[in-house]
Amino acid sequence: MATVTTNFNFPIPQSTDLVKDGATAIAALGTSVDTQFVDLKGGTTGQVLSKASNTDLDYSWVTTDDANAIQNAIVNAKGDIIGASANDVPAITSVGANGEQLVADSSATTGLRYVATPSASNPVLNSAMNVWQRGTSFSLAASTAATYVADRWQTLTNANQAVTISRQATGDTTNLPNIQYNLRWQRNSGQTGTGGMGLVQSMETVNSIPFAGKTVTYSFYARKGADFSGTITAYLFTGTGTDQNRLNAAYTGGVTAINQTFTPTTTWQRFTYTASLGSTVTEFASYFLWEPSGTAGAADYLEITGVQLDIGNVALPYRAAGTTYQQELAACQRYYYRQGGQSSNQILASGFGFNATTTYFFLTPPATMRIEPSVLEYASLANWDGNATSALTNLTIDSSFSSQNTIFLAATMASGGTQYRPQALFTNNTLNGYLAVSAEL
Amino acid sequence: MDNVTFIEVQTAMGGLETYAKIDHGNEQYTTMLKSTYDSMQAEQANMIEAAE
Repeated sequence: MATVTTNFNFPIPQSTDLVKDGATAIAALGTSVDTQFVDLKGGTTGQVLSKASNTDLDYSWVTTDDANAIQNAIVNAKGDIIGASANDVPAITSVGANGEQLVADSSATTGLRYVATPSASNPVLNSAMNVWQRGTSFSLAASTAATYVADRWQTLTNANQAVTISRQATGDTTNLPNIQYNLRWQRNSGQTGTGGMGLVQSMETVNSIPFAGKTVTYSFYARKGADFSGTITAYLFTGTGTDQNRLNAAYTGGVTAINQTFTPTTTWQRFTYTASLGSTVTEFASYFLWEPSGTAGAADYLEITGVQLDIGNVALPYRAAGTTYQQELAACQRYYYRQGGQSSNQILASGFGFNATTTYFFLTPPATMRIEPSVLEYASLANWDGNATSALTNLTIDSSFSSQNTIFLAATMASGGTQYRPQALFTNNTLNGYLAVSAEL
Repeated sequence: MDNVTFIEVQTAMGGLETYAKIDHGNEQYTTMLKSTYDSMQAEQANMIEAAE
């Protein structure tokens, strides 16, 4: 009496079966094997077996592109990347343009997006408003001519338009990418002047040329005070001259690449604008024009930070020109260098007595300056020779021996100098003393 | 209110240069060659036309 195998139920004879029934039993076994393994028959090169149902030995030959694998059809073009748009939902990210890089973007379908690779540093220096060598708050009277405030940023005021410029903490890590400070540009309460005021950074030619002939995206973060009045416009001006100051005059070969009035709210927002720059551009300026209206309230201000220019039509995540504060400070010191305020008797420069009324000092800035400085600023300084202190009558830059690296200063005194004696220039017992040289545009 | 005076200073090379000295009050001063001062004044006279 035949029985069956344990796993597949193939009929097999038992040891007690009659020998004469052996051929029949073997035939039955063979037929059963042949029948049950029929799914293994056929197939073509490269195919694999796939379970067709839950039944034992129920297979079918399939290509590797089976229903349970990623389908060939999901990709459309060279470079497509398979990702997901949700749990268990494959999706592709189409390849970007040559040279672009992939970044995470939660607003994109697949959470990924191609963006232009930064091919130039952000040319806006002190773009996050964290370098303030001249001080962190400025009270500008009405009708003040062009004045530098935060490093590299310049402004002016018109009639009846006293303004306060100050460094403020952004206090927002949600709407800003961890930018610590901003510049607050405030028309003082009660002021009635409504003329246009500029807040400008003029870029040096050497830093502008990399953007010539490129599509660029200009971006910045802004918010307004509760009493902000009038309109604010973001300009990007270009020129074909060399190292011109755009607040002082229109550019040679000037073009308005961007002219966008924007509407800030009391919450930080990023504004981005794209333009194409001419191939002959050699200079450009970031220029905010505020045209206030009516009488200023207590909070008639605008705050700005994170100003950036990118090559391409997308505003890349904010980045400063310098990767550290030290680098940003050094970049700004190419244009302006100031000492003082660190101690009441702070040594600022050393030199030698030339005669009883003249001392020469050597000042070595930490960064090579843009040009040999032409403007000297100072307050509450004196000359000390180790024995006597002499008040200064005048202090000037003597171009006889000055350079971009060492500034030669001539100090005159009423009397008291000693010829050839070493001298020190110092803040005369006050934290208000300072010494600065400017090589600004 | 700034007070501007012009001073003559002998240079280390023996020449005589004229400087502008701007008194901002509170012992704060800015000095520069008179030629630099004059060009800055001329630039400021042209100041601000937002649109190119």
